[in-house]
Amino acid sequence: MIEIDHVSQVFRTSGRQEHLALSDISLTIEDGAFVSILGPSGCGKSTLLYIVGGFVNPTGGVAKVKGRPITGPGPDRGPVFQEFALFPWKSVLGNVMYGPRQQGVKRGDAEAQSRALIEMVGLKGFEHFYPKELSGGMKQRVALARTLAYHPAVLLMDEPFGALDAHTRTRLQNDLLNIWERDRKTVLFVTHSVEEAVFLSDKIVVMTRSPGRIKQIVDIGLPRPRRRAELLLDPRYQKYVVDIEGMIDDTSEDELHP
Amino acid sequence: MMSMRTLVTRSGPLLACLGLLGIWQIAALILNTDSFPTAMDAIRAIPSILGDKESLINILASLRRMAIGFSLAVMLSIPLGLTMGRSRGVASFFNPLLMVIYPVPKAALMPIIMLWLGVGDVSKTLVIFLGVSLPVIYHSIQGAKAVEEKMLWSGAAMGLSAAQRMIRIVLPAALPEILTGCRTGLVLALITMITSEMIARQSGAGNILFNALDMGQYDTVYAMIIIIGAMGIGLDAAFEKLRAQLVNWSEPRFDLPLSFS
Repeated sequence: MIEIDHVSQVFRTSGRQEHLALSDISLTIEDGAFVSILGPSGCGKSTLLYIVGGFVNPTGGVAKVKGRPITGPGPDRGPVFQEFALFPWKSVLGNVMYGPRQQGVKRGDAEAQSRALIEMVGLKGFEHFYPKELSGGMKQRVALARTLAYHPAVLLMDEPFGALDAHTRTRLQNDLLNIWERDRKTVLFVTHSVEEAVFLSDKIVVMTRSPGRIKQIVDIGLPRPRRRAELLLDPRYQKYVVDIEGMIDDTSEDELHP
Repeated sequence: MMSMRTLVTRSGPLLACLGLLGIWQIAALILNTDSFPTAMDAIRAIPSILGDKESLINILASLRRMAIGFSLAVMLSIPLGLTMGRSRGVASFFNPLLMVIYPVPKAALMPIIMLWLGVGDVSKTLVIFLGVSLPVIYHSIQGAKAVEEKMLWSGAAMGLSAAQRMIRIVLPAALPEILTGCRTGLVLALITMITSEMIARQSGAGNILFNALDMGQYDTVYAMIIIIGAMGIGLDAAFEKLRAQLVNWSEPRFDLPLSFS
């Protein structure tokens, strides 16, 4: 379980001004839940994810994982970034093996596990390619496999499909859902796409524009396993999308007429 | 089989050399003065230099100083540059010092260094060391600065400590940039090597060159210039080959050959 307790984040800009990025966020994420954080750009949603990752220390409040305050990054929380952040000097296999090797898994075992993961994300045959030789979608598949390889209890996904074209994005969403439905890791998923959030999540945290506050938390009661073709025709899915889009519209209007 | 195109690109540098030698030959024939021997005369003088034991010892002494100065500089500059690139504190501590040293021609420091350390190997190696250090430090800083934050975060999540991230992420990620600095450093090592031997004449390739100049042996002067030039080209080509192998993961697939390799 992840507990975020009255967390706020102030950044100092280069002009020595203080910018409130997150204001008093409290949120609890149950084990095995797929939770999306949805909001306009600049609402601090990625910052919230970085705080849970331990990459950024909150200026106020406390974030806990399994009851313990987060003091830094750890292999129990695996990030997947929009920028992929692969190690370009390592092959696909080298990237995926990196985590297990760091955790002390024997080379042979790490390689076998990694090859299986690479196959699972659909990249069999690309084991010895370097990241520069892969497309964006393939790079993100490698990044996902690399993170899954060290078995984090929580996946932290920071707009992972944001840099991909629509077609690749859809395919990766489907594949992510298939993978997730197998082992039901806790997922914290940051996105600004309403459809993506509704399609994937159990729960959506809608945030306001800066300073980032939680506007509303919506439970998505759509049955699983979800199939895109069925879902798109489902009036409940459509209603969620329309309702949540409305919340985001309201948010921008708040901004215009405070 | 080699295609026509690769044949032309491969032989390009060679053709350029032959062209230069040709122009030299014609210019020398036209000018016809003692102090400007023809290319053929200069080339003919090469075997006698390379066959002479004394000269060979001199050239090898030069290369040894260069190798030691270059290696020490690289070994110290890379860690320093990478730390400066990642830590604001370390950078602001060393930056003023480097900014003062950077624009000073290293050969201009030679007289002071000679006063303190004598005219032997130590002074000359130190000048080479200084000449190589700065580009390597500079490029290491740039390389370390450019390392994607998220790449380091990914490593931290896998359990890499700060020191491990430095060696296992920052170093390899910055390697292409570091090696660019080393390549500049290698050429500078050759330049400072010759200049140092010009100032503190005692041994070395530069010593042969300037002694020959004093004695009016112009064939030898030009032959030495060819030998030193060939050393530079050879070292650079060898280094380029090594570099390309070390960072083939980062190279764009099609590139103009910028060296003789």
